[in-house]
Amino acid sequence: MPNAILDPTGRAGAAKSPGPGLTLAARRPQLSGLRVGLMDNTKHNAALLLAELGKLLAAEHGATVTVEATKANFAAPAPADLMERYREACDVVITGVGDCGSCSASAVADGIGFEQAGLPAAVICSDAFVVTADAMAELRGAPGYHYVRTAHPVAVLTTDQVRERAKELLPEVVAAITEHGAP
Amino acid sequence: MTAVHTDSAGQAETELDADAAQAAIEYCYTRGWSDGLPLVPATRPLVEKFLATTARSPEEVIGRLPQLDRSVTVELAAINAAMAGCLPQYFPVVLATWDALMRERSTTGGGWQSTSGPAPLIIVNGPVRTELGINAAGGVFGPGFRPNATIPRAIGLMVRNAYGIHPHELEQATQGLPGRWSICLAENEEESPWPPLATEAGLPPGTSAATATLLRTCEFVDNRHTGNAEQLLADFADTIGRSGAWIFRHASAGIVFCPEHAQLLAGAGFDRAAIRAFLADSSGRSTAALAGVGKDACDDNGVRGPGHATDDTFQRMLPGSEAEHLIIAVAGARNAGISMVVRLFGGWSGTAVPVTGP
Repeated sequence: MPNAILDPTGRAGAAKSPGPGLTLAARRPQLSGLRVGLMDNTKHNAALLLAELGKLLAAEHGATVTVEATKANFAAPAPADLMERYREACDVVITGVGDCGSCSASAVADGIGFEQAGLPAAVICSDAFVVTADAMAELRGAPGYHYVRTAHPVAVLTTDQVRERAKELLPEVVAAITEHGAP
Repeated sequence: MTAVHTDSAGQAETELDADAAQAAIEYCYTRGWSDGLPLVPATRPLVEKFLATTARSPEEVIGRLPQLDRSVTVELAAINAAMAGCLPQYFPVVLATWDALMRERSTTGGGWQSTSGPAPLIIVNGPVRTELGINAAGGVFGPGFRPNATIPRAIGLMVRNAYGIHPHELEQATQGLPGRWSICLAENEEESPWPPLATEAGLPPGTSAATATLLRTCEFVDNRHTGNAEQLLADFADTIGRSGAWIFRHASAGIVFCPEHAQLLAGAGFDRAAIRAFLADSSGRSTAALAGVGKDACDDNGVRGPGHATDDTFQRMLPGSEAEHLIIAVAGARNAGISMVVRLFGGWSGTAVPVTGP
């Protein structure tokens, strides 16, 4: 009887993704009067893009930005105390921009974390990183998790181009966190 | 058909089943375990030989990536090292290397998933170099030597298999770099004019140890026609300070000196600290030169981009003259003035990890 070949992954017999699919936060009927959290991940133009989206959500949808913070380590999911700030003071969260190997995956992990805390999230991710973003969604038990894709690259855009990008993304961002999408 | 094998003592012959070996190798490919090259199929008796070389428990967790819900144990390290083609006696070096890498912030964060596709640089000091036959001399960046080739490969397989970080999935290297998972060298202590790297890093002289950090690339400095130490160092400064490698306010580097360069510098009175002081001062570019490539200014996060520079001050690339910002080792043949500048992914921990046995 030959010796068995050993599995080097430590996952022999493990399910491909942990547990059953997660339940996402309920989408909001509309955004008027709701509190919006913005969490940028330090990637170039991320804070500006989110700030512009926040202004548009206020001006066009009657929402109010209540938390505007930065996740210092883009490579890792947000720490618990930062997540808690949003949970306490927000109804919806917008986060990103996923535009590198680790930060795109961790942005999706953050989005799913917000969902589990009861906050519908719109994660903005460069379209060059959809494979790794999808892989993280599957790892977190939310295969097919919907995030907002934006054309790569974001980091080279000028201030005016970022404003333009925010306008283009607004309907998708609204659709990601509301029941019926953009009005 | 079977092949005839003569064992290392030349005293026995065994019939080996090459067809079965090929089938086992193909099985490993189909499971997605390979980095592209054939793997040694690991079995329990083989892995037990690896585990016998260390006092550490097979269950001990030696690395964890919470964001991926994955971890590496001593036993998984042994399985991957066996698959990489290591001999069991290499395993303590694999463990010390892994521990050295774990001292870097990037390896416990997003480094393995990075678009830069960084490669471990592994430098081995002490008696274990000769005990295992780790190449310290000619062709030290490879190939041709089993421990030099398989120890870094083991690290790569641990990342791939135990962490589940595969190219085109969670690993997002834009291009990666030549030599990823294949840069392991012994320091040429015999021809180095300076104390061993591990000694500089604080371990007692004569300690077998591994030092490791992550690299963005390596690039040679070929200078064999000056006997002037300052000219030679200026050539290194120019390569270290090039703008293409510079994306944040500062960037760290290293040099693997060939014996000829190291001895020339030592003869002129330069030790490691003096070399670092010289290069920390002189490696960089003028603001005007950086403006020309759109890297003259730093944003609030310390990321370089186009600014509105009008002055012509000299911007230094290295964060300082500490060892963490410019790792220096000696390796290679004593036959030409060819050294390697290495580009650090982040910084170096400034430490070395002792290689310990059972």
